[in-house]
Amino acid sequence: MEKDGPPDGAGLNTRSFPRAAYHISQRLPKPIQLVTLTPSVTQTLPPSKREEGLRLRKPTLHFISMAIGMAIKIAGRIAIRMKLLKVQQSRVPAISAGRARCRVGTNCRWRSSSGAVLLITLSSLLLFPFGCANPENVTHVAAAQTIQVSSGLAPDQVINRQLETDPRTLDPSLSQDVVGFIVLQDLFEGLTTVSPDGSTIPGVATSWETSADGKTWTFHLRKDARWSNGEPVSADDFVYAWRREVDPATASEYSQALAPIENAMEIADGKMPVDKLGVESMGSQTLVVHLHAPTAYLPALLTNAYLFPLYAPAVKQWGDAWTQPAHMVSNGPFVLSDRVLNGHITLLKNSHFWDAAHVRLTRVNYQVVEDNTAAMNQYLAGDLDLTDRFPGSDKDRLVQMLGSQLVLFPNFATAMFSFNVAKQPFINNPKLRVALSAALDRDILSKYVLRGIEPPAYNVMPPLTGYDPAIPDWAKMTPDARHAYARSLYQQAGYSDSNPLETVLTVMTQGPEQRRFMEAVVAMWQVNLGAKVQLYFEEWKVFLQAKQQKQPLLYWDAWSGDYPDPFTFMQLFETGNGMNSGSYHNAQYDALIEEASNTNDAARRLQLFRQAEGILNEDAPTIPVYFYAGTHLIKPYVKGWQPNVMDQILSRYIYILAHQES
Amino acid sequence: MIRYTLSRLAGAIPTLLIIITLSFLLLHAAPGGPFDAQKQIPPAIKANIERMYHLDEPLYKQYARYLWNISSGDFGPSYQYRETSVNEIIREGFPIDALIGGAALLGALLIGLPIGIIAALRRNTYWDYLPMGLAMIGISIPVFVVAPILILVFAVNLHWLPAGGWVGISPSHIILPALALAAPYVAYVARLMRGSMVEVLNSPYILMARAKGVPEPLVILRHAMKPALMPLVSFLGPATAGIITGSIVIETIFGLPGIGRAFVDGALNRDYTLVLGVTILYGALIVFFNLLADISYSLLDPRVRYE
Repeated sequence: MEKDGPPDGAGLNTRSFPRAAYHISQRLPKPIQLVTLTPSVTQTLPPSKREEGLRLRKPTLHFISMAIGMAIKIAGRIAIRMKLLKVQQSRVPAISAGRARCRVGTNCRWRSSSGAVLLITLSSLLLFPFGCANPENVTHVAAAQTIQVSSGLAPDQVINRQLETDPRTLDPSLSQDVVGFIVLQDLFEGLTTVSPDGSTIPGVATSWETSADGKTWTFHLRKDARWSNGEPVSADDFVYAWRREVDPATASEYSQALAPIENAMEIADGKMPVDKLGVESMGSQTLVVHLHAPTAYLPALLTNAYLFPLYAPAVKQWGDAWTQPAHMVSNGPFVLSDRVLNGHITLLKNSHFWDAAHVRLTRVNYQVVEDNTAAMNQYLAGDLDLTDRFPGSDKDRLVQMLGSQLVLFPNFATAMFSFNVAKQPFINNPKLRVALSAALDRDILSKYVLRGIEPPAYNVMPPLTGYDPAIPDWAKMTPDARHAYARSLYQQAGYSDSNPLETVLTVMTQGPEQRRFMEAVVAMWQVNLGAKVQLYFEEWKVFLQAKQQKQPLLYWDAWSGDYPDPFTFMQLFETGNGMNSGSYHNAQYDALIEEASNTNDAARRLQLFRQAEGILNEDAPTIPVYFYAGTHLIKPYVKGWQPNVMDQILSRYIYILAHQES
Repeated sequence: MIRYTLSRLAGAIPTLLIIITLSFLLLHAAPGGPFDAQKQIPPAIKANIERMYHLDEPLYKQYARYLWNISSGDFGPSYQYRETSVNEIIREGFPIDALIGGAALLGALLIGLPIGIIAALRRNTYWDYLPMGLAMIGISIPVFVVAPILILVFAVNLHWLPAGGWVGISPSHIILPALALAAPYVAYVARLMRGSMVEVLNSPYILMARAKGVPEPLVILRHAMKPALMPLVSFLGPATAGIITGSIVIETIFGLPGIGRAFVDGALNRDYTLVLGVTILYGALIVFFNLLADISYSLLDPRVRYE
């Protein structure tokens, strides 16, 4: 699935700022259509003596008030700094000071300069009077994190989770965004589902067998699977949902995900009726799926939302409105209770779920918080228990403050720079491409620019249990040897200091952190090779269009695997694949992928992928730079989750321990 | 008066038409479309989607269709949020903006007016310098600085109020965003009020009233207050529209489900109908509040008459 959608919330600077001030100052001399006007309103009056005095003092007054403004701004910054410093120091002797507050009118002094400055800043906004800050306040951030967790379950099994954006839809057939998948996995269950460690386990299907050629799969459905209205889940519900997914009338953006199923793409093209789809029910508890090729990753694919069953009567009765809380019928551990667009999504436990006995949460509150800083603040304030992202620039501070509450683990996604190999100077020029790849000091990028959050990537495939990735030889060299190797390839490709490579790196606008990273990359090419690469920023949709039209020569690229299998990455470089935006073509590579797709031998298949990845390393149609990371803040009393490459934390496994914040 | 109002309302229609036409053309001229994604959609499927939303028709037909639909109050389906209409998005999001904006405006008036009056009465004393100096700060500190400080103090440190989010009409969720939004307006209101009050207090009829021996509170409330409000009213018209439409930053920082954020996301995602719908709403609001300000002018000041 696509990675890095529209610029994220972190880029506050990409958003528009309040026009109020500007707009008001423009509006002040307001022209108004007056018919009669008596002089007293418009004419300036002879200034009295006091007024004269005021006039004389006005410039000084303005100067003083502006100076105060500046001083308080600066002091505010210092206060925040000091506050953080204090927090870091005070963390070791866990301060258990309660929330000692001063009430209005009580006589307490500002002993802490930061508290005082904050107070002044706030009272400058002419707020209502509020209690004055006393020194304990300063440690509240740390104090708030002193959470005592006991081993028993909390009486309220409720979790507040962050959603990074609002799901575009809660219709499984139409959903295609990561946030949508997160919520839909709580609401529905497919033939297979995801275990806490991210592996694929039986869901609605208890078992399945494949035919000898691997092209026909028979799934046996559990008898106790129920819809949230108590009706049993049958094989026909899957047939209905899958046909709806590929139906041109549904216009699903993700219908191509069903491509392995027989006739799926022909139906989406409108060349065949929907009932020709290679899926059939044999009785209510048996589902037979016919595939084009043995698809080893089918069980993992089946955990995705677009292959969930649907309750046809609800969809038919309500049309587009069937995903509203009042109408939705689902078969997962939770049911939809409430939804406010761009606000929150509330789920309640589904008592009809077959495994309801093991679902401990009674309510899941998803809060849509787009801005990462806002999410961090809400987490620190205790309004969120689990966030999906934090501002990278705050990482060190958060580690100091929160310790193991900050959770990082590798993700099944890769950040890359891809070449347009159909255009000069990169056409038929693997030496130049490898030189540019080997010249990047990924460990430095990862450690210093990405703050150690994302690990360096030398190959396309992110780490996956059971798969031994092909890593280029130069990756193991010392930095000096690697630079020398890159330089020699660069020279063999015909470039030198007197004749440097001049090209453009096209990336999308995403905020200051990403800009820092891009500038570091370009600087490395300049220093290590002497290549002159210019950065060119484009707005997200403009960038996408340029990429689709194959305009950029060298551009930002990122891919997040749809299912934990190498194929989701390997298909990107197949000749003619829609996602092969760099027009890469290698017959040998295609043959290896083709063979891997048709083999039934799991070990042989992985071996073929490894060989294919070796070709990618030699040809370098892309420069892998880093693997993405799951970046969460998770309260210590939230249990039942495990780090996993697919970054899937399903609410059905989560439970809340009794805890007390002091 | 009624004729004037009606003619102003009629005049708003061509204004809005121009806004719609320009926005429509600009949106469609922007590169990239609503259904461009990194994961490329096969052409046949993309054609299905575009047919569904009539995006395959020539532009003039789309424009005519759009105008026809909005004439009956239908702003069309959102492309970004499938199965959700722009009407629904506005219906859900706008009350939140209006509520927070209204609370902010009320707060700005309740705090700003008395401060401005006191500063004018006690001018050139500390009662004047301090609030006016602070007002200057209030104007110069941007919302995106005020809001995080408020969150830091009241939510993260003191745990008095939530750091953001929205759970329906709950005062605790409204206070912080409304305060952050109100801060610069408090300052504007106080400064405007002070300025006009000083001017009015120097006018001959106030001297006359005082000479007659009218008690000072009555001089202020009955004679000085009304004319002194005039500049404030002309400010409040556009300010009300601005405070309601300009809460995008507040919505982002506090994670509020208003339409401001949907508007920005809509523009980034090329959600043509959503952006157009909100643009029309904002345009209408600005026209309406300006009209309201002009009308209240004549109510406040008997010397002002509209043809």
